[in-house]
Amino acid sequence: MSETAARKPALAHLIWWFMFAQGGVLAALLIPVHILVQGILGPLGIVKVVDRHYDTWISILGNPIVKLYLLVLISLPFFHFAHRLRYLLVDLGFPAAKSFPAQVVFYGAAIVVTLLAIYVLLTTAPLALG
Amino acid sequence: MNAEVETGRPAATRTYRRPMSAGWWTTKRHYFWYMVREFTALPLALWLLWLLYEIQRAGRGASGYYPPSSTPFVVFSAICLLFALYHSFTFLSLAGVILHFKVLDKPVPSRLIVLSQFGGWLVASVVIGAVLIGFGR
Repeated sequence: MSETAARKPALAHLIWWFMFAQGGVLAALLIPVHILVQGILGPLGIVKVVDRHYDTWISILGNPIVKLYLLVLISLPFFHFAHRLRYLLVDLGFPAAKSFPAQVVFYGAAIVVTLLAIYVLLTTAPLALG
Repeated sequence: MNAEVETGRPAATRTYRRPMSAGWWTTKRHYFWYMVREFTALPLALWLLWLLYEIQRAGRGASGYYPPSSTPFVVFSAICLLFALYHSFTFLSLAGVILHFKVLDKPVPSRLIVLSQFGGWLVASVVIGAVLIGFGR
């Protein structure tokens, strides 16, 4: 019995670790430039940015590749954040953040953000090819 | 936690948890930066939620859309950028510790792996920046 249990691959563990690592890499590679350009340089008027005008913003949001990119950019890092914030709470003295219900809440929130992102991206701008 | 340790019977195996104060991470600089690294998730999550909101606002039509320009927003983004850069530096540097592979039977030096990660970060930033600015008007 114990031998069977030992051989059973920790599939769930593997999936969440994979999502943690991928989300972390994506966040590291992609987020800083978005914050710099869309959050600082654009609003200060230093450069022209695609989201400063309605027509350029809505037009690029209609592109299916952009939609897919934004979905990955927004949703995947949340699986990384879920893990980090859970362990931040553990380190601050809340071991309950390791429990199964806490995992459901944190990874559930990442899934909710993913579904929300899919909904927003599909309903905001009509899909335009080219 | 102390009570748990004191009432432990010899027959039962229990994990000893050393009691720690909630502020243990403020006692050493290394601990502090470790906690900052975990904390980066919060500002980054908030900024991405803002981006999603920015996308959603475009669905309200031309008259309902206005780009963010307020000083508090720029300050918020600047603070988030500092945390984002800290996440990028620490996470991409880790690749040198985690990734181990050989080319022509020789292990690739971890320095080279880290350098390639930072190179990838630079290329991705230039490409995305070019798209964001190039399609602007």
